[in-house]
Amino acid sequence: MLNFIGQILPYLAGGIFIAGMGWRLWTWLRTPVPFKMTLSPAPVGTAQRFIKIGQELLIFKTLRQSDRRLWLWAWMMHLCLAAIIGGHITGIYFLGQQFTALGLSINESVKLSTILGSLSGILIFASLVALLYRRTSNAEVKRLSDPADYFDILLLLAVVISGLHMRLTSLEVDLPAIRTYLGSLMTFKPVSTPQNWIFISHYFLVNILLAYLPFSKMLHMTGFFVNKAMMTATPPVYPSSLNASNISAFRKGGVSE
Amino acid sequence: MSVVIKGQEIELDEDGFLVDPGLWNEDIVEYFAKAEDVGDLTEKHWKVINYLRDYFKKFGIAPMIRKLCKDTGFTLKEIYELFPSGPAKGACKLAGLPKPTGCV
Amino acid sequence: MKPPMHVAKETDLAAIGFAVSPLQEQQQKTVGKLNELVNAMRSLSVIMETCTKCGICANQCHSYLGTDDFNNIPAARADLVRRIYKRYLTLRGKYLGSYVGAEEFDDQTLTKWLTYFYQCNECRRCARFCPFGIDTAEVTIAARHILSELGIMPKFMQGITANMIKSGNNMGIPKPAIIDCAEFMEEEIKEETGLDIKIPIDKPNSDVLYIPSSADFFTNIDTMIGAAKLFYKLGLNWTISSSILEAANFGLLFNLKVMSEHNDRMKEAALSLGAKLVIQGECGHGWRAAKMYSEGVNGPIPFEIIHILDFCALNLDNLQLRKLPLRVTLHDPCNYARAGEICEQPRQILRACVDEFVEMTPNRDENFCCGGGSGILMDEMMEIRMKLGKMKADQVKALGKIDYLAMPCSICKAQIPNVLSHYGIDIANMGGVMDLVGKAIVLNE
Repeated sequence: MLNFIGQILPYLAGGIFIAGMGWRLWTWLRTPVPFKMTLSPAPVGTAQRFIKIGQELLIFKTLRQSDRRLWLWAWMMHLCLAAIIGGHITGIYFLGQQFTALGLSINESVKLSTILGSLSGILIFASLVALLYRRTSNAEVKRLSDPADYFDILLLLAVVISGLHMRLTSLEVDLPAIRTYLGSLMTFKPVSTPQNWIFISHYFLVNILLAYLPFSKMLHMTGFFVNKAMMTATPPVYPSSLNASNISAFRKGGVSE
Repeated sequence: MSVVIKGQEIELDEDGFLVDPGLWNEDIVEYFAKAEDVGDLTEKHWKVINYLRDYFKKFGIAPMIRKLCKDTGFTLKEIYELFPSGPAKGACKLAGLPKPTGCV
Repeated sequence: MKPPMHVAKETDLAAIGFAVSPLQEQQQKTVGKLNELVNAMRSLSVIMETCTKCGICANQCHSYLGTDDFNNIPAARADLVRRIYKRYLTLRGKYLGSYVGAEEFDDQTLTKWLTYFYQCNECRRCARFCPFGIDTAEVTIAARHILSELGIMPKFMQGITANMIKSGNNMGIPKPAIIDCAEFMEEEIKEETGLDIKIPIDKPNSDVLYIPSSADFFTNIDTMIGAAKLFYKLGLNWTISSSILEAANFGLLFNLKVMSEHNDRMKEAALSLGAKLVIQGECGHGWRAAKMYSEGVNGPIPFEIIHILDFCALNLDNLQLRKLPLRVTLHDPCNYARAGEICEQPRQILRACVDEFVEMTPNRDENFCCGGGSGILMDEMMEIRMKLGKMKADQVKALGKIDYLAMPCSICKAQIPNVLSHYGIDIANMGGVMDLVGKAIVLNE
């Protein structure tokens, strides 16, 4: 069992994640855009286009405009998620010493790393609980929700709780050993899985999340970009002579007859 | 849907308009007048109805509202007083015209 | 469950080249057509997978706010299609079923589609407020397209299409009547100005083809008169065409093949008249179809296409306008402000034409639909239409006394007067923006 979780599942989950996301993205991008989908007012020029998408991506601008409370929790959740992912990568790679680059001592850096990690973990836990509460208490959202919508939040919560468990209660997690283990996975030179059940539980849930993600609504992370790219496209200019096509699905005698 | 008016079976469309304008007669006008809350038909009503029928015979369509007003001498308000459901849905129905459709 | 509108019958469908699919084939055909569209429209394929059910769209949709019907929440409306998509076109839906929100196709599926996709005005306000920009109008367009391909459509859409085929306009005005209408309008202009301003019909070798809404030849004649005066003042060599006296393109609102045929008609008319410029009249969705869809479906387009309000705004410096003593507000047609890049132009024109221009709130790309958008003008749906117009009524009411409500779209012009009288709001005058240009323009120096 430990062998499966430690040596086989990571490749399986990582493979499903990469293939699944790639397949999704590919099926979308190969699908034509027969009509310009621009949502007016269209941004003028590439810079404006990036700004418009960037504001949505970084501060959830329209969500902030229409529902401040949801915005607060959703934005905090995503912000913490980004911090946690970044924190995992740097924290594990540098063993918590990444802030020495800012002039801190090794001790201070490890301490700061611990504080930031814990804070992000607690805040994402709070936001996920708030979002779950909203899903059950707002009549419209409750009726819109399918079981999978709850499962997604619960799975994230499970990952967060197991992570916090490790972070807040178990001081004996051996970070260098985990780093060695993860490095060995990436270089395909397997070493034995760290025998720490608190770590294993968290690690197992993360793998499940990765494999599940391309088939869940968490896919909105890619949908966002594909959709926003269409909505901010430059509207057609006439006369047009180039790049214009006749899409047969929308013409009599086209593919469907 | 069809109705029997004075012993004659008349076919109406979903909106209650005459399917075949050729079947139009005065009995049908009386029937529509009741259906559209027009009340007793007066000379003024007939002036509008006859104008619409003449125009329709000539052009195959209802006239522009403003032309109807100008040529009959009624204001739009007066037309609404005569035909509470308006020139398009009321007067045209009584005159046996098809229902004006489109963005109206 | 009974759909709220008259549905076209078999004979009606045959008249416009459509046919009813047998009941036992409905499921297979629906799934087949849906699959086809998902593979032909990137927007739809992304929308099918991207909604997180956050529910933000509920309070941004005038349809839900007015009707208080759950299925009119944009996310719920899209789900009517999404559930079928999941069940028949995804593995997880096939095996996990209702856990992921998949649903079996049953004898109520298409009735629900017909009922609720014809309570969506395709106004795109949900797209404006969705964090991912999910445009439920795309799902509505797809669902209505599939329904019509199965021979299911409102009688209203069928009747308009039949008129279009027969006479080149939605109202079914034959050419002799078009000539008579144009003469009447010329007389009206002559009485008012003393000038001989022509409305040319099918004039060969015209530089400009003007495509008005056919309602401008029935109820909204001041819009046509305003355009004619503008063209006269600018000395254009222009004409209207009896083969396409219609800016509206109802194909966009129920069948995309019909939409492409309409744009073909525009293209042929412009080419045969030798026009280098096509000016579209005051019609919201028709402008979107011409501007956003022509290139992809009917391209290449060898002439320029511009909207009358854009054209007028560009020429403001060449016009002499006297300010009318009116307090005027503007209703932004959804397809201008959210799908057609017409937003500041009507404002520039109105500020030049009237003493006082006031904005309603919200406005521009956040404006609420009139409730008639996407061709929901059926008389038999009047009760629902009034609910769809509730947010618009509230917006207008908040402005106090208004002399003129400008609504430069024929659907809005047909819907808003009903809405305002239903909610007891009294406004002296309503109409297009070109109507005011026609009254403000100084022709005799």
